[in-house]
Amino acid sequence: MAQKPKVDPHVGRLGYLQALVTEFQETESEDAKEQVLANLANFAYDPSNYQYLRQLQVLDLFLDSLSEENETLVEFAIGGLCNLCSDKANKEHILQTGGVPLIINCLSSPNEETVLSAVTTIMYLSSPGSGSHPELTAMPVVQCMLRFSLSANTRLRNLAQIFLEDFCSPSQVAEARSWRAHSALGIPLPKTEAPQQP
Amino acid sequence: MCIFKSFKVYTINLESRYLLIQGVPAVGAMKELVARFALYGAIEQYNALDEYPAEDFTEVYLIKFMNLQSARTAKRKMDEQSFFGGLLHVCYAPEFETVEETRKKLQERKAYIARTTKNKDHYMTQKKLVTEHKNTKNFRQDFHSETSGFCAAAVNTSTGNSDPCFPYSCELPLCYFSSKCTCSSGEHVDRASNSSQDGRNHDETGEHCNHKDSLQKMQIKTLKNSVACPGAQKAITPSEAVDRFMPRTTQLQERKRRRQDDRKLGTFFETSTSSNEVVIGPLLPDIPKVDMHDDSLNTTADLIRKKLKEVISSVPEPPEDKLEDMHTSHSVKQRRRI
Repeated sequence: MAQKPKVDPHVGRLGYLQALVTEFQETESEDAKEQVLANLANFAYDPSNYQYLRQLQVLDLFLDSLSEENETLVEFAIGGLCNLCSDKANKEHILQTGGVPLIINCLSSPNEETVLSAVTTIMYLSSPGSGSHPELTAMPVVQCMLRFSLSANTRLRNLAQIFLEDFCSPSQVAEARSWRAHSALGIPLPKTEAPQQP
Repeated sequence: MCIFKSFKVYTINLESRYLLIQGVPAVGAMKELVARFALYGAIEQYNALDEYPAEDFTEVYLIKFMNLQSARTAKRKMDEQSFFGGLLHVCYAPEFETVEETRKKLQERKAYIARTTKNKDHYMTQKKLVTEHKNTKNFRQDFHSETSGFCAAAVNTSTGNSDPCFPYSCELPLCYFSSKCTCSSGEHVDRASNSSQDGRNHDETGEHCNHKDSLQKMQIKTLKNSVACPGAQKAITPSEAVDRFMPRTTQLQERKRRRQDDRKLGTFFETSTSSNEVVIGPLLPDIPKVDMHDDSLNTTADLIRKKLKEVISSVPEPPEDKLEDMHTSHSVKQRRRI
């Protein structure tokens, strides 16, 4: 791409991101969608892009993609959220637009990266100690993290342990532990109703 | 049609100070390997992983860097590099982290974002101060017109952007715009504008695209690298540009003041010609006069000193209107601008 002199680099980047978003919305190819989403998620790693991403509503795009059936899209979307959610403004947006339940849902994914990104996102959205958003440390979540903390997967184990130590109170953890003693193993993370058989 | 099915999203979970290096030829070259990687940053520890699955005649190593940034750079630079006849494959190995290391990693990432966002606010304030102090000196205006693109950008945007990799925003490959994109330019952001480079990457990774090996995924890493090189300012942001010029003005004025003081003092300088000299540009330090305690030696020393002065002040007389100070009307020796 030829460098145009005098072109406002901000317009350049914004235009580029806009093109990505447009392609994502218009294309019918799943592969193209995956590729674009991966691009956007990687852009979300760089804080200098956040103003553009917010402007282009990419955060909402990520959140919407969490409901996609294509697991790859979910993985990339939650990865993108994980990358940008520790920024204050982005965090506010996610919390205010009801993104938390969608993110918690990702904990049930069979995809390892999705789960890891979801755990990290939940941690970045929480403030240590007092619950900034009680959903983030609700009983089902804490139970899930307890399960993860026993996982053979080192990365998952580490993250879950950090969550339990830094973002949950001891009483919450104790309660979750006593709950587990009475509940059957292998039940997927309940949504809001009574646990269903997988 | 895009044939690359595996893309990768880099999150903080994937990255690690630990790097796994596969494909190291089993020729007893561990020291050389570590030395090569140490170019990118301090290494905390390293060891061979004997139990890790490896192709015949190759070994696998684990290298732990002192900081994540070094690991990022090392991975980017050393992946797919040849080493003792083999091709290295370098990837992050977060599974080797302890809980504490993971915790620190997450915290540092959060702190980095908080810092960067704060800097942007600070940058915006600085920029406002700078534009108020703009003066009309020619050289400054010239510089500003060169960077007008950036300046305009800085002035027009509502929030500042201190990203050091501005040029790359305009150099991202066109191919991204189409679903036919097959490039992995993200890994080589500093060559992202080179489409032939992208083509080469295409060819290289084309062989791997059907590879089921999860370690050989094509990676799209875009402007992440701006994160990767915080110190490497590749573009001059407007505040920097002006900062660079401000000290110089001050120095010129400082020297002018000093010369005026020196002239007032007069006899402090050793040669008679110096008091009549009009100085333009930075003053060379005066050659200290040393008494050799011997007449002939002193004569020789003086001759040498004079010669040096002649050589130094061999600048043709500039037009009168450019002289800063004119005490005498007869011809004056000019000091050469350094």
